[in-house]
Amino acid sequence: MEKVDIGERVKSVVAKVLKMNISEIADGANFVFDLGADSMQSLELVAGFEEEFGIEMDEDKALRIQTVEDAVLFIAGYLN
Amino acid sequence: MITRAQLHQQNLKKIFYPDSVAIVGANKVAGTVPCDILMNILKADFNGIVFPVSPKEKFIAGVKAYKYVVDIQDEVDLAILVFPSSVCHMALEQCGQKGIKSAIIISAGFKEVGKDGLVLENQIKEIAVRYDMSFIGPNCLGVINTDPQSKINASFARRMPDEGSIAFLSQSGALCTAVLDYAYAKHIGFSKFISFGNKADISEIDLLYYLKDDPKTKVILMYLEEVTDGVALMEAAGKIITETRKPILILKAGRTSAGASAAASHTGSLAGSDEICDAAFRQAGIIRCENIEEMFNKAIAFAYQPIPKNNRVAIITNAGGPGVLTTDAVIRQGLHLAKLSEETTAILKKSLPKTANTNNPVDVIGDARADRYNIAMSAAFKDDNVDGVFVILTPQSMTDIDLIAREVAKVSSHYDKPVFTSFMGEADVAVGIDVLQRNKIPHYILPESMAVAFSTVYNFSQSVNHRTFNPIDIEETARVKANRILDSAISTGQKYLTENEATQILDFYGLPVIENGLAQSADEAVSLAVRFGFPIVMKVMSKDIVHKFDVGGVVLNIQSEQEARNAYMAIIENVHRKLPSAKIDGVMVRKMISVGEEVILGAKRDPSFGSVVMFGLGGIFVEVFKDVAFRIPPIGESVAKSMVESIKGYPLLSGVRGSNPRDVAGIVQCIRRLSQLVTDCPQIRELDINPLIVLDEGKGVFVADAKIML
Repeated sequence: MEKVDIGERVKSVVAKVLKMNISEIADGANFVFDLGADSMQSLELVAGFEEEFGIEMDEDKALRIQTVEDAVLFIAGYLN
Repeated sequence: MITRAQLHQQNLKKIFYPDSVAIVGANKVAGTVPCDILMNILKADFNGIVFPVSPKEKFIAGVKAYKYVVDIQDEVDLAILVFPSSVCHMALEQCGQKGIKSAIIISAGFKEVGKDGLVLENQIKEIAVRYDMSFIGPNCLGVINTDPQSKINASFARRMPDEGSIAFLSQSGALCTAVLDYAYAKHIGFSKFISFGNKADISEIDLLYYLKDDPKTKVILMYLEEVTDGVALMEAAGKIITETRKPILILKAGRTSAGASAAASHTGSLAGSDEICDAAFRQAGIIRCENIEEMFNKAIAFAYQPIPKNNRVAIITNAGGPGVLTTDAVIRQGLHLAKLSEETTAILKKSLPKTANTNNPVDVIGDARADRYNIAMSAAFKDDNVDGVFVILTPQSMTDIDLIAREVAKVSSHYDKPVFTSFMGEADVAVGIDVLQRNKIPHYILPESMAVAFSTVYNFSQSVNHRTFNPIDIEETARVKANRILDSAISTGQKYLTENEATQILDFYGLPVIENGLAQSADEAVSLAVRFGFPIVMKVMSKDIVHKFDVGGVVLNIQSEQEARNAYMAIIENVHRKLPSAKIDGVMVRKMISVGEEVILGAKRDPSFGSVVMFGLGGIFVEVFKDVAFRIPPIGESVAKSMVESIKGYPLLSGVRGSNPRDVAGIVQCIRRLSQLVTDCPQIRELDINPLIVLDEGKGVFVADAKIML
């Protein structure tokens, strides 16, 4: 899957969990600092990504991901 | 170039008196730290502008919110960071870009969680330095300033405390909340209330210096878990106490933690970290407390009442038993029961029932009501022989408790003498206690606590004097020569100096070593013995032998040339047999001093306080009774003298049961010189002079044995 596609799908999950418009989500956005995710929402994001992409991620490593960009790369690693 | 410490003093002003505050990472979720801190600031009626900074919210509690702190157009004096630790550095960076110089970082998840957290903590420290910022925290409850000029509650405590004159600083945020609740119940107010958390940037030392000049603070209380820089703490405390007479009371945790080293030396085994801390605090004039209750019992005495001019106490009571208990406590604390004047006694006899006791303690008896208390208190306060008044109440059926409490407040307000109260009980006396506390009259559950508090205040007032330290005169060459021996020993991997090397160093610093010589044959030993005069002591000198007695390397009380010859040969043979691998440098020969008192002097390096010097009587006094005193260098004349006088066995030195006083002045000089030695030579890990032989007054002291560990 192309990174662009992954990026779109990641952003749609983020928009859903954080209840915001996709247009407000920049590629380099930090989940906490720029998008305001709290700790519960961080867990929801991990679960959301797993469901969206049909993968099971290492939760500790997943929770260390800080930005949208890094999430795309992390998920791409699982898919490829 | 301004130092970091000076910068902190500047920036602390905006932490306590900001005109505007940004809560960076705020949210709307009640019950979370980011929300509750914002609400606390608003509820406390902060005297300034509040800017919530939230990535998601446009407004919180009716206040406009900003996505980033750099979006705020106005100047911001103080930033309170409540973001998770993983992004605090990003928030702080923006604060720096905006020109904010002062911050409180509430967030946890830094050094206290381990390696990863330490990385984050170092990041925020670096940012603060780069932008000339100062921050309190991280991992803290926050900061409260009750001054109406500010009224900032930048914390997630449950409530804003009452305004008061006591400052409280704590390394534990959780303890802060308990203390706030405790104080609130007792109507104890605070000037400043500070949880400083990990003290990654602003430390308790910086806060102490700030509070030194804070006109709203009369008393400083601190809870500490670790002393990072003991020397700086002592220096700060000394300055505060000397310049402002503000008492500093510290509750330091970790009393029972291990600290004494393995018995490489007597000093090492006796000088545990808590003993050193105790000694250091006492030396600096800090009042160390065992628990929160004791701390506040003493704090309110300092904060609410005038300092007594002397230590004569009048006790007013409606119950004989508690009066006696209090009398015992007064005497135990070194205070005096005031001898009431004839005029006072006459007034009391005239105005009180015949069954009342008109001597001190004044017993107004069980059926006393407010009028009798008024008479007794007024007479006591007016009496020139009385420096302070203790009022005890027990709740009889006719006792008008709240009226008596009001009477105490009313009468005492006319006099510049302290009053302390103990309304004994809990349920019925609660109404009276409430009146006392609201009127800032110190109240204690136990009457004995009145005596403890009074004596603490009195003793503090007596001990506050300008401490001048005059360094002892040591030649520069002494430092050079001593360091040369030490550095040479270290370079060859030595862990211990030989006694010869150790006594040389002591000699350079003017400590009186007994003249000695090193013999490398029996003939030389005899020749030295004759030169010094009998009786003689001989000891083997070897870098490989620490405990000379254990290998038969010491012979005492040698009385003749033949004995000297035999002793030399016996020593060599013993060592060859018991420790054949030891390389013998020779046998030290010196005169034996058999009269005099044996004392021990020692020193040890301490990670918090630099070094510590120990003094005690020798032999059983140190081995069994551990009757020793510690002080932190530099040690001046008066501190050295107090050190000697402080041990229980001091009467043996000052002369007891007709015995001559010993040369205490000589001991004092040795302590001062030893203090200078360990200050100049940080290579010395531990040092024992055991024994230092003390002759009669004026006849001198002599180092009989010395060990230095590197």
